[in-house]
Amino acid sequence: MIGPNGSGKTSLILALQRLRSLARLPLRNPPHREADERIADAPSAGLAACATWPPHKEADGRVADGRIADGHIADGPEISWHFTPPFDGVMAVMRCVSETECDFLDVVPLPSGAGRGDWPKLRVALAGIRCYVLDHRALASRSLSREGAELKGDGANLATVLAALQLHAPGAFDELREALCRILPEYDDLQWAFANDGTVELQLRLADSGGLVAAEHLSQGTLYLLGLLALAYDPTPPPVVCIEEIDRGFHPRLLRDVRDVLYRLSYPEASGLKRAPVQVIATTHSPFMLDLFGEHPEEVVLAEKHGEAAQFSRLSDRKDLTDVLDGGGLGDMWYAGILGGVPQECATQESAPPFETDKTDRSDQSDQTDQPDQSDERGEADNLP
Amino acid sequence: MPAPMKIGIISESPADEMAVRVLVEAVLGVDVKLVQPSLRARGWPSVAQVLPAVIRHLHFNTDAAGLVVVVDADDSVVHTAGHEREGYYHPRCRVCQLRGIFRQTTKRLPAARGRDRLLRCVGVAVPAVEGWYLCGRDHGVTEHAWTDGQTSGRMPYTRAQLKMRVYGTDRPSLAHEIECAMREVQRHRRDTRRLENDFPGFESMAKDLRDWKTRLATTASLAKSASLALAKPA
Repeated sequence: MIGPNGSGKTSLILALQRLRSLARLPLRNPPHREADERIADAPSAGLAACATWPPHKEADGRVADGRIADGHIADGPEISWHFTPPFDGVMAVMRCVSETECDFLDVVPLPSGAGRGDWPKLRVALAGIRCYVLDHRALASRSLSREGAELKGDGANLATVLAALQLHAPGAFDELREALCRILPEYDDLQWAFANDGTVELQLRLADSGGLVAAEHLSQGTLYLLGLLALAYDPTPPPVVCIEEIDRGFHPRLLRDVRDVLYRLSYPEASGLKRAPVQVIATTHSPFMLDLFGEHPEEVVLAEKHGEAAQFSRLSDRKDLTDVLDGGGLGDMWYAGILGGVPQECATQESAPPFETDKTDRSDQSDQTDQPDQSDERGEADNLP
Repeated sequence: MPAPMKIGIISESPADEMAVRVLVEAVLGVDVKLVQPSLRARGWPSVAQVLPAVIRHLHFNTDAAGLVVVVDADDSVVHTAGHEREGYYHPRCRVCQLRGIFRQTTKRLPAARGRDRLLRCVGVAVPAVEGWYLCGRDHGVTEHAWTDGQTSGRMPYTRAQLKMRVYGTDRPSLAHEIECAMREVQRHRRDTRRLENDFPGFESMAKDLRDWKTRLATTASLAKSASLALAKPA
């Protein structure tokens, strides 16, 4: 997810966290008798969100689509969530009492699709949504050896999570170690220092000297990488993972490895894994990171703010994307402002409308322009540089 | 055993760099040693943008004999024999563009580090370096098949399909990409003629490299003659 500061990227992640929180509570209008049973093998739930304002309210209190207005709730905005199979027959609607408070969750069966009666399963999957704002100080901290089940939002229990991985999934841990040492070849091993107070500290061993570097002395980028690897090599990762500022702390050349780590989560079959794919929602402000998605623009969502509204659009919906990319990489085009999703500037307050995604066929318009036909062979001596 | 030739390679990924190095050694018949730190570009047009600075850096700050530039053609105009005419330059052909940048950049550089200028080697993989990797394995993948497709409007394959054929996925990890690339180029390690035949973009790169050998041999010969002349008593 790309876009200028304040365009709604973090708000979308917060909305996901809200969805997870509300899913734990009883529904406002349960579609059927709710089961509180826990399902151990929760399926993955891919998400798509749509925020809407309520329809126009008629004088008699009915809203334009025929539903009875429900006090304050009907006056607030809604965020509806759609899911990929096996829950594509369900829509979850977060109803808000104001623009900032969403307190109610409805689950609406859709006319078609699977999982219409599977709210308990979907609920368990939603409870698995995890959001991370990794913090290098937290990542470097000592953690209690009993805290190793799952990486915390700031990465504070990284040392224990990795130690637990080595203990319980040694194969996955070996792969993690191999990946770490390939990406950062100055190291050749991960080790731990256990203290008497029950805490554990992560250490990396230098390949050249064999010296150990304690986590508190590791670079921020190294710690962020360790945090991402801990997520990607978890044999049972959460179904949805949100990560803020995925490029933070990394040299541009390492961003390819960061992208690979994300792909290991979301395309496990490409890494030879048989688990369910993880939906990864990551934000970035790095044009270098964006360049790495040039062959998959459908994976890039552009956030833009128009007035007080945030608009999210998939880059691949843009009709002229192929022509745009003919002039350079995605990152350059984004920075240049051609893709949109850039900060407003004082001199250019009159923002352009969002890019064209309608169905108008403009393919024949190029014939009417004054552009030279570049397919012609030309450029004899007068064009020679 | 001859000393390794010191060169620079600029390409779009570490996997390309490692594979290109094998191919360069196969053509030159000598080991090569890469300048450090390794050079990298972020795809086209980034390569063209950084190339003048890279050439000047290698010329003045290193003892590299030459620079190998390898990029993907993507959907650009494919270099043909017609482009080789004296004074010809096609503005949408990447071989012509890269050669033009070399020419522009090196023509005013003074001699440095015991050589007149950095030697040039340009290779453009049509449509992508995965085509080279499939050469000799997938007989339908050739530069000719691609240009035929451009002419007829029916492309024989896409770049994503080439990736699938080489890596088994269109989202390979870097480690997997390197492993596959190195495995595939082994076929050409001893003999690059098939690759040169099927991919003229590689053939022109190989010609540049053979020209290096000629130039370096001439330079060495001239240096030897000069030293003999100096040593001869008046």
